[in-house]
Amino acid sequence: MKPLVTIFFLFSLGQLKAQELFVYTEPASNMATKSIGIRLNNYLMKEYLKSGYKYQLAPEIMWGVSKKVMIHAEGFFSNRTDNFKAEGGALYFKYRFYSQDEVHSHFRIAAYARGAFNSNYIQQPAINLNGYNSGYEAGVVATKLINKLALSATSSLMHATDNTAGNKFQYDNGSRNAVAYSLSAGRLILPKAYINYQQTNLNAMVELLGQTNLQTGMSYIDMAPSIQFIFLSKMRLDLGYRFAVVNDLARNTQQGFLLRFEYNFFNAYK
Amino acid sequence: MVKKIFSILFLFVAMHTQAQVKKVTLQASGLTCSMCSNAINKALKTIDYVDKVMANIQTSSFDITFKPGAKVNFDDLKMKVEGAGFTVANLAAVVDFQNAAVANDDHINIGGMVFHFLNVKDQVLSGTKTVRVLDKGFVSAKDYKKNSRYTSMECYKTGTAGNCCVKAGLTAGTRIYHVTI
Repeated sequence: MKPLVTIFFLFSLGQLKAQELFVYTEPASNMATKSIGIRLNNYLMKEYLKSGYKYQLAPEIMWGVSKKVMIHAEGFFSNRTDNFKAEGGALYFKYRFYSQDEVHSHFRIAAYARGAFNSNYIQQPAINLNGYNSGYEAGVVATKLINKLALSATSSLMHATDNTAGNKFQYDNGSRNAVAYSLSAGRLILPKAYINYQQTNLNAMVELLGQTNLQTGMSYIDMAPSIQFIFLSKMRLDLGYRFAVVNDLARNTQQGFLLRFEYNFFNAYK
Repeated sequence: MVKKIFSILFLFVAMHTQAQVKKVTLQASGLTCSMCSNAINKALKTIDYVDKVMANIQTSSFDITFKPGAKVNFDDLKMKVEGAGFTVANLAAVVDFQNAAVANDDHINIGGMVFHFLNVKDQVLSGTKTVRVLDKGFVSAKDYKKNSRYTSMECYKTGTAGNCCVKAGLTAGTRIYHVTI
């Protein structure tokens, strides 16, 4: 774990600003009210003990309902079963209930819930509501921003149901429940000085993403470094790579790339 | 009796004073990125009487100018910042006063806008002056608490005319902006 500590430490140094638009997790902050965001999430995941990568596409739409509430809806498409096809979808709801703002810092806490469905057969005991399992999840996210460092922690309880299309959860019933957790750090690398909205921002993040099954006690913890570009203060391009540092809880795909394109429409409607 | 005359005089003066908000400089807090700043920028521009918004991303502040004759409502500006997910840390308004006799810890109705001046010397304001709004949600929570020593009136807590202010001739529930120079 020493390299992790070192990386987090490095992120806390320097004269740069913090960044909390995390790549693998959502911060406690919401999008602006009446704004709509669209995302194209592309995952290229290496299959365990096989050569080659599986591709997953997840188009996502995000809606800033009010200053406290936001909703995401996404669809899942992949070639896991060799044919590229639609497999499921998910709905995400976030409610920001605590906010303490200062000029150069803030602390926010939000509660979130997510429900997902998927039609694929289940081939791993690790629960993945992001295109693998049907199920639901509820959790809390806290984000702290101090001048130079943005830190975010999430914790949630997950429950896997049977998948649709008659694909049952094939493991012990008790192992349908898991706790998921994450720790994220991010910072702004460029520009050194903000002058206008046309400047491209470059952000660097590192995240730890974990899950522990509540029956078996088996866990995985992934580390996910990423970089992010923000263009014209409304477009985002994320590039990330995740790999396991703790790997007891079996998964079919354990490491791989994320490429995300995001576009925001501010004041999308009256 | 003297007080009554003074009140009548005060009302008379008030009716003949006007205040035009020329410009507002608003600093937002809780920001992290240009995308967040842009969200506020775009939200402020949706207010129909706003003419221009000039953003200074580095200091998270916005210079807002208004269309001629606009009736500026500071709460509208605050609502837009909060809607974008952030908080107002400071709001300074450049106001054009015409013979406005202001008194410390007292209310004055200037052209339909009611101000409650705090921590000021009694004076007559003429020409453009910058006032800073001290109401809840317009300053940091810490400053809001600190400034409470300048008045004991309940309107500081509610932002609207209560028992403290009806005496001064204000209709109950009137929005009162607590300001300082």
